[in-house]
Amino acid sequence: MRIRIGLVTLVVFVLAGAVACTHSTSGRSGSPPASPAAGHDGMSMGVTTTTAPGTATKASPEQLGAQFEQLLGRHALLAARLMRSAVMAAPDFRQAAVASLQENTDALSQLVGSAYGSAQGERYRQLWQRRTDDLFAYANGVAGNDASAKQTARAALMTDADAYGSWLAEASNGQARAGDAATFARTNVQELMQQLDAYAAHDYDKAYQLERSAYEQMFTGGATLAKASVPPKAAAALDAPPNKLRSAFAMLLGEHMELIIDAQRATFAGSPEFHAAAAQINANSTALAQGLGSIVGPKKGAEFQSAWADHVAGLMAYTTAVAGDDQAGKAAAEDKLHSFAVTLATYFSGVVHTPAAFVPLTGAITAHDTHLIDQVNAYAARDYAKAQQMELHGYEQMLGVANTLVDAIQRTVKPGMPVGGSQTGGGGTAQRP
Amino acid sequence: MGPGRRGLVAGVAALALLAGCSSGARHAERSTEASRGTPDQAAPGLDAARGFQPARKYQATSVPARLEIPSIHVASALARLGRAADGTVEVPSRWEVAGWYALGPRPGDPGSAVILGQVDSTRGPAVFYRLRELRPGDEIDITRADRSSVRFVVERTAQYLKTRFPTDEVYYPTLTPALRLVTCGGQFDFTTGHYRSNIIVFATIRS
Repeated sequence: MRIRIGLVTLVVFVLAGAVACTHSTSGRSGSPPASPAAGHDGMSMGVTTTTAPGTATKASPEQLGAQFEQLLGRHALLAARLMRSAVMAAPDFRQAAVASLQENTDALSQLVGSAYGSAQGERYRQLWQRRTDDLFAYANGVAGNDASAKQTARAALMTDADAYGSWLAEASNGQARAGDAATFARTNVQELMQQLDAYAAHDYDKAYQLERSAYEQMFTGGATLAKASVPPKAAAALDAPPNKLRSAFAMLLGEHMELIIDAQRATFAGSPEFHAAAAQINANSTALAQGLGSIVGPKKGAEFQSAWADHVAGLMAYTTAVAGDDQAGKAAAEDKLHSFAVTLATYFSGVVHTPAAFVPLTGAITAHDTHLIDQVNAYAARDYAKAQQMELHGYEQMLGVANTLVDAIQRTVKPGMPVGGSQTGGGGTAQRP
Repeated sequence: MGPGRRGLVAGVAALALLAGCSSGARHAERSTEASRGTPDQAAPGLDAARGFQPARKYQATSVPARLEIPSIHVASALARLGRAADGTVEVPSRWEVAGWYALGPRPGDPGSAVILGQVDSTRGPAVFYRLRELRPGDEIDITRADRSSVRFVVERTAQYLKTRFPTDEVYYPTLTPALRLVTCGGQFDFTTGHYRSNIIVFATIRS
């Protein structure tokens, strides 16, 4: 008998969790999100930086890691989009992107403060703010075709990276090495500069590949920040297989949300850019299906990929209807998305013989769709502040899904793993004592 | 001027206001959207977006058929292994043939593929007798049933008492392609007829 987790069971857990996470993220803004580790503790865990200093509950290393990963990953995406806005000469969008990036920097600084102390949080804020300013200075240099300005900004960014390395080594009392941290920061800003160079040169394939790479790299940076803030024994928990799996799914699911948004917005930009964004959606979908397939088996993995493709297609159908000012198309796409959610919920709840799962399943899928529908509507209406807000809520929801997914795996896969070691020896070469 | 903080106060405040009532104001927000209308010109990427084809086909990896470890002169076909009735992993029935744990990932897919082999028979060395000699950087080649292949590189080799077998490190799902080779090692318990430890080789895919 194959000991495989049922995809159906997973989806029930995942999407039910997603509903709860959606509710948990409502009504918040500008504070470190509480959702990254929500799935582990009744949808309410996280560094409680919204409370007064000194009264916050200390987060676990896993929670810190999840939050650093989430915030740093989003930083990379927001930075890439802000930099592109300079090239696109889109001042309205730039204003919203700047606000989002500032919000993200504030949240990161608060989180650093909760992990390393408020003084270090403030130092981090200054470092990160300088980095953000220098990234934007580089973007202005690219937009103005000003080689000197680009070179100045590049040099400043390398100095920023070295300063980051020195800061982390000091803040962590040497647990993190300055050279390693500086190398990480240098690599990241280089990718962000390169993605903009490619974007300005209309090499959108390269630009979107690099954007994705910069995002994924930040998850490593997030884990490093968390590990360096706790004793080595506690830091080891971040390398435990369940936590690494949570991190990997959080990265892919958050990326899914963001790449859909990239493609939605690229619909308003141009065909070559759309193709590049869409290619990354497909790469992400394939990675997600392959990852899930390695856990639930190829047959169930294939079923997942097909269902996921419907989901993606439905979202893009709505997007094209918005972009084409096609009211009937929007209504049809919404019906299709709803039908898709109901069909999936019915199918999964039926297979697991759990009719009660139907409502949370439908609600979770619909909530995810709604974030993306609202995002593209706001973007099309040039309400960029709202578009960014929907992006934030949707991103947080997907990370809650990742936590719930790994919780489900923990409950259902682990009991099916082989017990103990293997009896792989006959003793023919053993020496008698 | 860069994206300094002072100029952002209004934007951030607006975001905070939006978020502060996001849950209860959803219907109101939708009404606002409707009144704003949609773009007044065709989106340039619209045709491309209409032609978008989402990735639908699952790329199933072929099952592993053969294992080769040049540095210790191992070349073996691969049997398929499952779980025994007592919950332990099945082991290869032939001394000279290694086996792939077929309830786990396939080599090259995300996750840790696990291959087991006997260290010795009742009379002498078996297929994984020299497994303990593997060092970081040694290469492990897997050929699949469809003749495709994948190469792994040894990261580390370690010995664990079977009573402390690192189950999560060997079998727990991961999204990173990896390979684990497992055999016996350490002291042989002549009263039970089993070794007390396992040797585990941890390998990562060569990118």
